[in-house]
Amino acid sequence: MKGLKNFIFLFAMIFVLAACSNDDSTEPVNEPAKESTESSTAGDSNKPTSEKAQELVIAVNENFISMDPHNTGDTNSNSVQAAMMEGLLGFDAEGQIIKVLAEDYTISEDTMTYIFKLKQGVTFHDGEAFNAEAVKTNIERITNDSSLRLYSRGFSLVNGVEILGEYEIKVTLSEPYGPMVTRFAVAKMMSPKIIKESIEDIPKNPVGTGPYKFGKWVQGDYLEIERFDEYWGGGDRVDKVTFKPVPENGSRVAMLKTGEAHAIYPVPAQNQAELSNTKDVKVNSVPSTIARYVSLNTFSKPLDDIRVRQAFNYAVDKDAFLKVVNSGLGVPLDSIIPSKTLYYKQQQVYNQDIEKGKALLAEAGYPDGLEIEIWGNTNSDTMKGMQFIQQQLKQIGVTVIIKSMEEATLSDEIYGAQTPEEAKLKMWYVSWSSYASDVTNATKPLFHSESFPPNSANTAYYNNPETDKMMDEANSISDEARKTELYANLQDTIYKDAPWIFLGVDEILYGVRSNVSGVIVNPTGGLDVANAKIN
Amino acid sequence: MQSSSLVKQDAIVVKHAKYSPVREFWRAFKKQKAALVASIFIVLLIVIAFVGPYIVPYDPFEPDYNAILQTPSAKHLAGTDEYGRDIFSRLIVGSKISLTVSFSAVFLGLILGTILGLISGYFGGWIDKIIMRTCDVLFSFPDLLLAIAIVAILGPGINNVIIAVMVFSIPSFARLVRGATLNAKENVYVEAAKSMGASHVRIMYKHIFPETISELIIFVTMRVGTAILAASSLSFLGLGASPEMPEWGVMLSSGRDYLGTATHVVLMPGIAIFLTVLAFNLIGDGLRDVLDPKIKNN
Repeated sequence: MKGLKNFIFLFAMIFVLAACSNDDSTEPVNEPAKESTESSTAGDSNKPTSEKAQELVIAVNENFISMDPHNTGDTNSNSVQAAMMEGLLGFDAEGQIIKVLAEDYTISEDTMTYIFKLKQGVTFHDGEAFNAEAVKTNIERITNDSSLRLYSRGFSLVNGVEILGEYEIKVTLSEPYGPMVTRFAVAKMMSPKIIKESIEDIPKNPVGTGPYKFGKWVQGDYLEIERFDEYWGGGDRVDKVTFKPVPENGSRVAMLKTGEAHAIYPVPAQNQAELSNTKDVKVNSVPSTIARYVSLNTFSKPLDDIRVRQAFNYAVDKDAFLKVVNSGLGVPLDSIIPSKTLYYKQQQVYNQDIEKGKALLAEAGYPDGLEIEIWGNTNSDTMKGMQFIQQQLKQIGVTVIIKSMEEATLSDEIYGAQTPEEAKLKMWYVSWSSYASDVTNATKPLFHSESFPPNSANTAYYNNPETDKMMDEANSISDEARKTELYANLQDTIYKDAPWIFLGVDEILYGVRSNVSGVIVNPTGGLDVANAKIN
Repeated sequence: MQSSSLVKQDAIVVKHAKYSPVREFWRAFKKQKAALVASIFIVLLIVIAFVGPYIVPYDPFEPDYNAILQTPSAKHLAGTDEYGRDIFSRLIVGSKISLTVSFSAVFLGLILGTILGLISGYFGGWIDKIIMRTCDVLFSFPDLLLAIAIVAILGPGINNVIIAVMVFSIPSFARLVRGATLNAKENVYVEAAKSMGASHVRIMYKHIFPETISELIIFVTMRVGTAILAASSLSFLGLGASPEMPEWGVMLSSGRDYLGTATHVVLMPGIAIFLTVLAFNLIGDGLRDVLDPKIKNN
């Protein structure tokens, strides 16, 4: 009897434990295995080598979050989407606006009316035709769903989509919004069929017009896209691209060296020299629009005092930052936006001055220094950066406590605060990147009082009616001279107010095997594989 | 014939007069060469851990941005790390953290595990069942996984690492002590103590617990090595000491980005962990050879 009881108990435990592990492990383990047998049989068959499928493998640093192009914030997901889907407009290698699915477009003087003439003869991957009706379906999807990321980025202003002909469409806004043109470049077009019939499939299996179509996505393991043979733009490219998220810097570098990956992005700065000396590997660098900074919660003590914030800025040696954290790459951040961004104006940098920092701190009422927390994710570069800040601020008597949190937890902690009063954040080691053409996105989400978390990324809780007004005006006009003046003022004012510790602008490094061509990284950090070839 | 047997008799008498368990132990332990060397290493390490902060050549927290990632030299015996801090000084100061964490975790585990084991073995019945089945559940998780889960619940930090390592040590100690207790409680003197009306606590503490000591000593030394490894692993994963601390696991973790370019940054703390854990295991092996009655009989 006793034995039986024990046996039942044991059996139940085994069953429970086995069930726990089941959904995590078996599925992803099985599928790649199947995959590899398939590809090896393909290799064994008698096909001539020229017809052998070309498969490009790219290792990136973070996991993909979503394949819904209207609801994506992370660079890596955007890169994969850009290979499968296209917008009416797009960006060139310098980050400037070009026409893609639009043959031509006109913008009214007040930046409220946009008329697009569409390219003809374009089809979606599922065979649906690309026309004004399809564009209307896409735009209406975004304007009708306020939970989508693009909704709050301009599309909430759309109040009319009118079909003028089979290949002509007019979009009107409720108020002037200059940066809308960049938004049209970001908004990718999807097949109207998937939007109408299976909207829940979009984040996992999107259908666009791009040079590649969606293949397979095993969460956390790999994401595959395949060549779309009827691509309207023609051109030649590999048959398949596999993206693998490999967060560990060392593993990613090893994959490139051994040829397991054809390209890796990014190359950790400290490995640049090592990889440059490796045979068959090329390391390329791109000046980026990625600004690195520590946002200081200007709403809370002691950072509500401008003297404390300036003291922090005077404590940090920007050149040492680049040397230690970025392995000597990049340039100091000498404005609130990177130098590649439109309307950039150079500012007088806070050069390291420990005495001045100490004096400012004493003046603010902290002659004996103070203690403060810094938050950041668990990425090894972030950890290094936070330790650097800790060492620098120690010189003016500030004790920094490092709290590194897993990305999702960190995001909850920061964006969970509904009001500035609730925010527990003091300092956040973070970066921001936006399209070079889009100065609005480089300023408004970070410094406008409407952009406090959870709405947007003004984690410094910077609140200045004067600069709010400048941004609002600049966003609603198309007069270049006035815009330049407004943005110059804006940069002067905010840089002096020091809502951040201004650190540096990254240089992006990516590595490719020398037999690979057409893998490009643009200044925003997006990967472009449209013309990727293995020679 | 007679005289020789007399001499023998004498010798035995002399030996008995000089008998002391400590001396006996030392005589046997001296023969374990590897364990002896390992003990010397550990004793040195403990001394260094105490006096370390006063003898380090450089401030272990002081960065020097003009001397980052230097290879070992006469100036910096173990080289410098990514902030130009002296790795040798950091290792010395870090030894204190590693030893403190592992010793306190193991001793806390020892105390709780021993109490549970004594209770479980002595009383038997349903209380024994509850304690042992709970231990079985804890045993079913791999040690490190359990520790990660505990730290995930409590939050990262060196104190929570101690708790985590302690928790996964408890069942091993409890099971060990329970086994010894089951054996010891059959002894006649325990029976005698019972019949004289000694309290349960007294019997457990005075008559049973001493029987378990030799096995516990062996196990503690082995366990300290495991604890150092576990604490370093947790810190490596970012769950233990904060990143600026010169804890060995943290040093290993922050240096791994430089594995290809400045190997010494990873190698030095790696060697420190390796040698320390090895030393504790060698001592444990040596002690077992000396103390374990089963091996002695062979």
